[in-house]
Amino acid sequence: MIRFHRLTKRYGTLTAVDDLTLEVRPGEVYALLGPNGAGKTTALRCLATLLTPTSGSASVFGADAVRDPLEVRRRIGFIAASMGLYERLTARELVAYFGNLQGLEGEQLDARVEELVTLFGIESFADRRCGRLSTGQRQRVSLARALVHDPPALILDEPTLGLDVLSGQTIYDFIVRERARGKCILFSTHQLQEVELLADRVGVLRGGELVAEGTPDDLVARTGAPNLARAFLALVTGPEQGGAA
Amino acid sequence: MSVWWIVFRKELKETIRDRRTLLLMVVVPVLLYPALLVVSEQILLFGQRRLQERASPVAVVGEAPAELLALVDSAQGLRRVTVLGDPEAAVRSDSVTAVAQVGREGAGGSRPVIVLYNGASDRSQLGRRELLRVLDAWRDTLLARRLLARGLPAGFARPLEVVDSSVARPEEVGGYAMGRILPLLLVVITMLGAFYPAIDLAAGEKERGTLETLLTAPVPPGSVVAGKFVTVALIAVVAAGLNLGSMILTFQTGVLEFSRGLGLEVSVSLRAVVLIFLTLIPLAVLFGALFLGMAVRSSSFKEAQNTLTPVYMLVLLPAMLPMFPGIDFSPLFAVVPVAGVSFFFRDLMVGHADFVTGALVLCSTVLYAALALLFAARAFGNEAVLFGAEGDDHGRSGWMDGLRGGERAGKVPDPRAAVFFVAGVAVLFFWFGVTLQVQLGERGLLVAEWLLLFVPALLFVRIGGYDVRRTLSLRSPGTRGAAGALLLVGGAVPVAWLIGWLQTFFLPIPWEILEGLEKLVTAETPGRLAWLLLLLAVTPALCEEVVFRGVLLGGTRRLDTWRVVLLNGIVFGAFHLSFQTAIRFLPTAWLGIVIAWAVLRSRSIWTGALMHLLNNGTIVLLASVPALREMFANPNAPPPLWLLPVAALSLVAGVRVLSSGRLRTDGEPTPEGSEEI
Repeated sequence: MIRFHRLTKRYGTLTAVDDLTLEVRPGEVYALLGPNGAGKTTALRCLATLLTPTSGSASVFGADAVRDPLEVRRRIGFIAASMGLYERLTARELVAYFGNLQGLEGEQLDARVEELVTLFGIESFADRRCGRLSTGQRQRVSLARALVHDPPALILDEPTLGLDVLSGQTIYDFIVRERARGKCILFSTHQLQEVELLADRVGVLRGGELVAEGTPDDLVARTGAPNLARAFLALVTGPEQGGAA
Repeated sequence: MSVWWIVFRKELKETIRDRRTLLLMVVVPVLLYPALLVVSEQILLFGQRRLQERASPVAVVGEAPAELLALVDSAQGLRRVTVLGDPEAAVRSDSVTAVAQVGREGAGGSRPVIVLYNGASDRSQLGRRELLRVLDAWRDTLLARRLLARGLPAGFARPLEVVDSSVARPEEVGGYAMGRILPLLLVVITMLGAFYPAIDLAAGEKERGTLETLLTAPVPPGSVVAGKFVTVALIAVVAAGLNLGSMILTFQTGVLEFSRGLGLEVSVSLRAVVLIFLTLIPLAVLFGALFLGMAVRSSSFKEAQNTLTPVYMLVLLPAMLPMFPGIDFSPLFAVVPVAGVSFFFRDLMVGHADFVTGALVLCSTVLYAALALLFAARAFGNEAVLFGAEGDDHGRSGWMDGLRGGERAGKVPDPRAAVFFVAGVAVLFFWFGVTLQVQLGERGLLVAEWLLLFVPALLFVRIGGYDVRRTLSLRSPGTRGAAGALLLVGGAVPVAWLIGWLQTFFLPIPWEILEGLEKLVTAETPGRLAWLLLLLAVTPALCEEVVFRGVLLGGTRRLDTWRVVLLNGIVFGAFHLSFQTAIRFLPTAWLGIVIAWAVLRSRSIWTGALMHLLNNGTIVLLASVPALREMFANPNAPPPLWLLPVAALSLVAGVRVLSSGRLRTDGEPTPEGSEEI
């Protein structure tokens, strides 16, 4: 279970995330939707222990991001478009390195790496250095990297940013497959099509605040808009509505 | 397997795969430096040989006897030519290398000979040397003839037979020669070895976004630093070790002709090599940690390079100290970072390092290395440093960005730009200001203040596109600010006086300069008094304030208060240093600190101008009013006792007035981590 409880993050006088409370249950895909600068990335980074919240808390299956960051990192797989790969390691070495850092060793590690190499179709370029891979290939290596320790929760920060349709499809397949395996999945996006395709529930962020939450159908119904796109537009541009439902 | 070890192995693997690192770690130290040494020696020798191959054209003019001419003609390296016209012009035009002007033998039995040569030409100096040799031979012949004529033994004119002989064994002389060059080279190679890996593993990782990836794995920040830093230090040590080995071999195999020619023998004892290597380790740790800690604060490879290069330059100076003759290794130098190591290497190579200084060098270097490591670890544990990009944009734009961007509201120079500007202005003022004063006298000082301080400061703010009002604190001080300034300056001036008096116990008083100053500030007529007040009180109060409490303070304001104030004082004091004396440093630095604080609190440069005006004006008035001068004239005497409690009261009151009450702010957001520079 992923939980945010009244999480606030300020940079000086700028409040990036304001009093965010939400939960993602096992087997559920939750989409954090919002325009640029709404605080999606900041919220996810607080959960991933990359940032320290100013107040409030974030936790993954009971492990608190501030008090026990290393335990949180063992329980999550984090993927963001801004994350890079070590260019002078081969794809296989890279996945193995992160497996190693997650505590896998010896034969167990080798077996896991091979499993992921097959799962993500990396075989043909597994021994090529990451610096020489195409964007789509890098994306697959990133997924394998994040999944190497088989974490119960996955956090994806705009995972399809800059990807073509084919690579985007890899991500969708990945999310659907991992949901079926009972994982908590939280991803941020500003693409409505992804939300419609994948999300069980949606939270809409605006200026750091969660202004609406529910299933995609809920949101459409509540705003009285003809479709999700209009509903989203109404939520992030219209006058302030009542807080999260 | 512990985490830092996993990180270390991976970093090492990646670093070794980087061609740049290999180049710096292996190729440069092992091949390049020895090769450079050999090649440069060959070029030198080649040049010398070429010079010697051709006989130098020389001329003999004046009353030259045939005997001398014959000697010159028979000398191997010389070719006698005749000079028509002015011999000096001939030497100057290089048509002849040296000319001997031989005079007539005088009454005392001595004949004057002047050898004309050109001290700025290698060819001419060689000709001169050969010519002098011939003249010596001729003198000996003449002397021998005279002695023979009087029946005296050859030793008569040589009462002393001096032979000097060095007690140093050839290997000691060799060590001495090597000890001059090698320490610097070793320090440089160690630094170079740490330089690129540190940037690559810190700023490079940030730039490529891999640091974020790494930190989503359960790795404690300490292990990340440890793994990275051991990699950097190891590469630095390996590079330095390889260089050490390769240099010793180069010297030993006798490839170098000059060492063979001098009979030098280069053999460094195994013990020395081991000790040198041991000392290299904390040095590499120091550089590795320092560079890592600095590089991680930069967001890109290029930025890190820009930040680290000045440090690199700065380290060269202490490393070069042992190269200068006459500087002895003392315990004081032993604890100076880098310098101690460099000296210790020299002594080890010469073969007389002593245990205590060696231990001192090792311990102090280990201490500095530990501090650097702490510094690096702090940076890696700080989210603002690691992901500080957000909300930090407006503070980061440099001076050059301003050149392109034009004025932006609220923009102030960043601390680096401000400090560089002030340093530049200080250099300008130092060189051209002195010239102006020499040529124009007092008016030169006036011109210098306005032209070299005031105008550049305005130009800097203008061209940099900074917000003029904010950068220069152009606000009214208000009654409170003015009152605080009056009280503060009333307290600060006597304290400056006290500091001035106290420091005479440590610093020599430059009496001549003080007298000159006193003469300068003493006015005899009212007209002169007015001029002096304009020159020495009003002008500095405006020109110097704009530079120090304007640009410098405006640019550094976002640092901690105590840093801003201290930096301002030190820079202001340093500005008043001169070649002759350091006596003005402490009192001016103190005044700079107080004024900077007052300007910071009141947010008005006029507070500073007022204080500066009052301080300088007081000095002129004190010196010019006879009754007062009697009381205060002697710089060697302490300030009158009654003044001190009054000053203390005034100071405390001033501080209270300025600290109480609401501080006006701009409502600007202060991004986290913006203190980190």
